[in-house]
Amino acid sequence: MKKNGRVPPLSRRQVLQAGTVFGVGAGLVGRGRLVPPALAAGRTLTIADVGVGDPGGDWSPFEEPTGNQANLVSIGNAPSAVINQLIAGGGLTTFDVINIVGGMQKPLVDNDLILELDPGRLSNWKSNTYIEQYLAAGTPGFQFIGYEDRIYGVPTVLQGDSFAYLPQETGDLDSYAALFDPRFKGFVALEDNYTTAGQKTALFLKHSGQAEIADPADMTPEEVRTVIDFLVEHKKAGQFRVIWSSFEQAVNLITSKEVHVIDCWEPMVFVARDQGHDVVYAAPKEGYLLWAMAAYVVNNPERSEEDLNATYDLLDFMLGPWYGAKITLLRGYMTNPMAPEYARSHPKEFSAEEAARIAEITEGVQRKFEQGGTWQNRWPTHVDVYEEEWQRFKAA
Amino acid sequence: MRLPSRRQTRRLLVLGLPLAVIAGLILGPLLITLAVSVVEKRGFWISPTFTLDSYRLFFTGVRIEVLERSFWVALSSTALMLLIAYPIAYLVTLRVRPELTRAFLFLFAVPFLVNYIVRTFAWADILSRTGFVNSLLLRIGLIEQPLDSLLFSDFAVYLGLVTAYMPFMIFPIWLSLSGIDRRLLEASWVLGEPPLTTFWRVTLPLSLPGVFAAAIFGFAGSFGEVAVSLILGGTGYQLLGNAIASALDVLNYPLAAAISTVATGLMLALLIVWYQLFDVRLFLGKIMGRA
Repeated sequence: MKKNGRVPPLSRRQVLQAGTVFGVGAGLVGRGRLVPPALAAGRTLTIADVGVGDPGGDWSPFEEPTGNQANLVSIGNAPSAVINQLIAGGGLTTFDVINIVGGMQKPLVDNDLILELDPGRLSNWKSNTYIEQYLAAGTPGFQFIGYEDRIYGVPTVLQGDSFAYLPQETGDLDSYAALFDPRFKGFVALEDNYTTAGQKTALFLKHSGQAEIADPADMTPEEVRTVIDFLVEHKKAGQFRVIWSSFEQAVNLITSKEVHVIDCWEPMVFVARDQGHDVVYAAPKEGYLLWAMAAYVVNNPERSEEDLNATYDLLDFMLGPWYGAKITLLRGYMTNPMAPEYARSHPKEFSAEEAARIAEITEGVQRKFEQGGTWQNRWPTHVDVYEEEWQRFKAA
Repeated sequence: MRLPSRRQTRRLLVLGLPLAVIAGLILGPLLITLAVSVVEKRGFWISPTFTLDSYRLFFTGVRIEVLERSFWVALSSTALMLLIAYPIAYLVTLRVRPELTRAFLFLFAVPFLVNYIVRTFAWADILSRTGFVNSLLLRIGLIEQPLDSLLFSDFAVYLGLVTAYMPFMIFPIWLSLSGIDRRLLEASWVLGEPPLTTFWRVTLPLSLPGVFAAAIFGFAGSFGEVAVSLILGGTGYQLLGNAIASALDVLNYPLAAAISTVATGLMLALLIVWYQLFDVRLFLGKIMGRA
């Protein structure tokens, strides 16, 4: 500064020099080549999730040690929603992981939308004994994480579905026959989904000897028509009150007693009970509709090796005990075998009541898997026939 | 040939450019839909092989019944909406003091402050077995058991459609009625015609352009409806919009496009009928205050 206190004006040369330095610096920062090491680890990983994988908004046990951020975005669960988002919605370049109900590997792999997984990069993989117990290669459960003997998904949730009922209205029920029982005519609701309602109906018809169905999880066109004929017959007789299509709608149907028996998911029963209603999730003698959710690595062509490493860190976290315990507590699903013990031994993170609840839920789902039933098939061989026949049911 | 003047060119650009943009935004997707409807589906993708398979599947499968039902529901609900909207528009035009007209019309726009899906869910609550209507009827002793047919029935669907689209129809009818020269009505009265005859022979015919415009609004909305049938219809009450959505669920884009093309074609046919029967310039002139 000059003696008279005025700042001398910059010369043209000085302005050009400053601008060049600034521009180069900004470019280097933008390309990640001139940043402090701490900031270089700060990647944001985007998980497209169907509404189950959020641990209550708290990703700090993952973010603090890795320095990376988890960004959860919503994706529909229907196959079309998943494919549309990945192909047409830009998901291939913006998502790192999709966490969806498994069973869609065929269309996802055949269209190069997900990457094969390397379980060796996941420290929690071997600890998750459920993989060998329920999802091993060569078993029906493998279709939820693998395809053609290769592994693609990290299992995040396991569950068995049946139906719910209001015991004060119906008494105790232990069979899918309740969905078709004339005593409950007009007080039954089905889900608008042929891989759940349709497959449960097939399981019931097979178990009761009313139809010859080799595999309710993957029916032939004739078997599908038989199931739909059965459903149409009952629909025309006024058996079904409504075919529901959203979580809130199903909860409302039970809590308002609009229906007394409903083909639905167990979390709906938890919500109804939290509202003070006496609702029971049935243990049907025919078995359960078994399924699993898995997190898949999206085949993002623009991903760097560092980003892939960070993605594997995230998947390992989702296989871990804290995440599993949180999801079990929040959603009522079984996650991994370490979750109950982790909750018990970390009283600062999970109260005794929460730990007991996690253990109870886990044991409940384990019992379902022990009983068995049929594994849900999200992409049956004759999916077009399923769709056409389901339309016939809805239009009847 | 004389070249257009600079003024004419400027006028062409100012008027033509927005029109071209809007035409492109409307016609572009329609043409794409038409193109997709005649290609072959292969897995998740489509192959540029010309085929009418999607139309064949639509017209020979169960979805043709959905089309018939959608057409009938749209037609009958539109007729019902007209029967309600016309008297309201008539009263607002001819019986309400001019200074209160705006307030009355605003009242019919108020429901649109609430999202129509939310409004439809509200009807599901009101009409349910334990909802307001059944509870009231039970309390006053008119019924002994809740009425099942209030919800998940044709009644519920029609109610949902009427409350969703009828308010839209009041405005074009009001516009048409307010454009009628009152001296024509006075002349009819002066010549001794009773009010009913004046209405039949003077008011109604002159208001028909607005009535038809209102019918288009109501029919178009009802024909492609998705949410009302889903929320209030019950066991798979399928209208055309639901059929399109369900085709997309299995990534059958050609079939969805075929159904959409058929629906668009039907609407276009109705518009052509409107254009042939009525002088659209007269109706538009009334909107722009030139009548």
